[in-house]
Amino acid sequence: MKVLRGIPAAPGLAIGPALTIRSAPPVDLQEQREADSPEEALHLEQAIIRAATFLEKLQRTASNPLAEILAAQREMLDDPELKQKSIELIESGSSAAAAITRVTASYAEQLAHLSDPYLAARAEDVREAGRRIVAELRGFTSTIELNQPTILVARDLSPAELVGLDPHFLLAVVTETGSATGHLAIVAQGLDIPAVVGVEGALDETLAPCTLIVDGERGSVTLDPDLEQRAEIKQRLAQARNDRRNLEVYRDRPGLTADKVWVEVFANIGSQAEAQKAVEMGAEGVGLFRTEFLAALGLPTEDAQFKIYEEVASLLRSPLIVRTFDIGGDKPVPGLDIPAEANPFLGWRGIRLGLDRPEEVFLPQIRALLRAAINHDIRIMLPMIATPQEVEQALELIARARRDLEATGYTLRHVPLGIMVETPAAALTIDQFVDLIDFASIGTNDLVQYTYAVDRTNTRVRERAHPLGIATLRLIEQICQAGVPVAVCGQLASDPAAIPLLVGLGVRELSVAPARVSSVKHILSTMTLAEMQERAQEALGKTRANW
Amino acid sequence: MENTVERTVTLGSKSGLHARPAAIFVQHAKSYQSQINLVKEEKTANGKSILSVLALGAEKGDQVVLKISGSDAEAALNRLVPLLEGDLG
Repeated sequence: MKVLRGIPAAPGLAIGPALTIRSAPPVDLQEQREADSPEEALHLEQAIIRAATFLEKLQRTASNPLAEILAAQREMLDDPELKQKSIELIESGSSAAAAITRVTASYAEQLAHLSDPYLAARAEDVREAGRRIVAELRGFTSTIELNQPTILVARDLSPAELVGLDPHFLLAVVTETGSATGHLAIVAQGLDIPAVVGVEGALDETLAPCTLIVDGERGSVTLDPDLEQRAEIKQRLAQARNDRRNLEVYRDRPGLTADKVWVEVFANIGSQAEAQKAVEMGAEGVGLFRTEFLAALGLPTEDAQFKIYEEVASLLRSPLIVRTFDIGGDKPVPGLDIPAEANPFLGWRGIRLGLDRPEEVFLPQIRALLRAAINHDIRIMLPMIATPQEVEQALELIARARRDLEATGYTLRHVPLGIMVETPAAALTIDQFVDLIDFASIGTNDLVQYTYAVDRTNTRVRERAHPLGIATLRLIEQICQAGVPVAVCGQLASDPAAIPLLVGLGVRELSVAPARVSSVKHILSTMTLAEMQERAQEALGKTRANW
Repeated sequence: MENTVERTVTLGSKSGLHARPAAIFVQHAKSYQSQINLVKEEKTANGKSILSVLALGAEKGDQVVLKISGSDAEAALNRLVPLLEGDLG
């Protein structure tokens, strides 16, 4: 028995046999064709058509952002140059697989060298399109066939490969590469399949047939668990099924502690589809609408944004807290020239970018939100705030947007304004913000990362951050004492160990993934406020000796 | 009758020839019989190929030469020049 550690990418627990997917053997670039040239060219054309059909099929079932990734690849398959250049190589003796690989690699190379990070990122799409065609040429079935419940272990899985799998047999996914925010994580979460990524040595360890336990919460993979562990996991799985049934009763209730103190349970969303899910799961509102996902193909216009905000708010009929674009050097947005930075998490991002480029980024979004708020309970939240001056500047811009709209005949409502508290600077000086804002929402993931100076995607150091350490708790306590309503919208908000501490410190809104809404309401109902306060004081009083 | 026309254009699209503008341009280019090329400095791109247009890496304000030859060259030029000069989004 052995335990491998990785990065938790999608929550959930699974036990089952491992199936290792070796990456397809690399194409020999010098490979010569056996068929004559017209026949080989025909093979290529047919493979391209099959690849296109396959991607179209996936595209229909996919939602954003996966659908956009697939659309970009689909478009490349239609490229006449791709075909023409490959056919020229085939005519000079190359095999179809070698030809298409050389041509796609050469385009990928050209794109990767462009200074524009968005275009450079398209390089991966071209390579992926090439691999897809090669798979068709070699007669690999487009999807990996699963015929029994299986845990997939691979070096990497493309979103297209994952979506093509039979979800009834796919228990969990383990990969050697990848990050908590990569394509694979997003898709696995959407499919509700546990995933652990960044597991070094996963393929070598699972060479011989073996059973695995995958814990997508902790990011661990247990090899050949003993009988005791198997029994334990089966019990936990049965328990989880049972809990799910029991939790359903909480769906339609408000979030209440055992002594009926109301703690609103909201949802975090990034798209219209997730808004729908939030409603289905019984969220009392949306505490975080991440709008940067709307910008995957470039910043949407004011009117396009207005339409989306209207749509989402109409679905909800409850408060919708919209975070203004949190974009920066690590999330390239087509059409928006943001230089690559050595430290994007300490760089030109969030409100900093919004305030520095108001005409392009901040104002159109604010106008769209003010307009959508005429008929809906929409609230605005500013990301990456460090100083009150930033809020003052934002308020001036909001006032300007308001004047412009009113001059053209709109009658606007008051729209509450809040900030994300994710820098220690904002947390420590929260009293300086109170007369500027209506609410504060703690982004615990970033607050913890900035407090402990630990990159949470870095497996070598991630254990050194302490989301419930005294440093974090003291900051949260201070934020709660300032006298504005405080929410938490980071991962801590759905952590069973954290919930009593957060509520005990004064948090009155928890915003969590839609799937977690019921379980958070359940946890709230198991303790009284006094018990939670006691537990919070205990945690704060910890010393070095009992950390 | 074979025509060849040529025009130097300054890119007006705020994101240059990024994915969306490039896709729109290629889509229009494909609707003409003529051969359509975009030339930026020493690089030449086939205007009907999204990969080759993207690989130009053309940005707002860049000068590109649009070279069109074929039976509907004039019509293509009249349609594509304003497209490049305007804001494709």
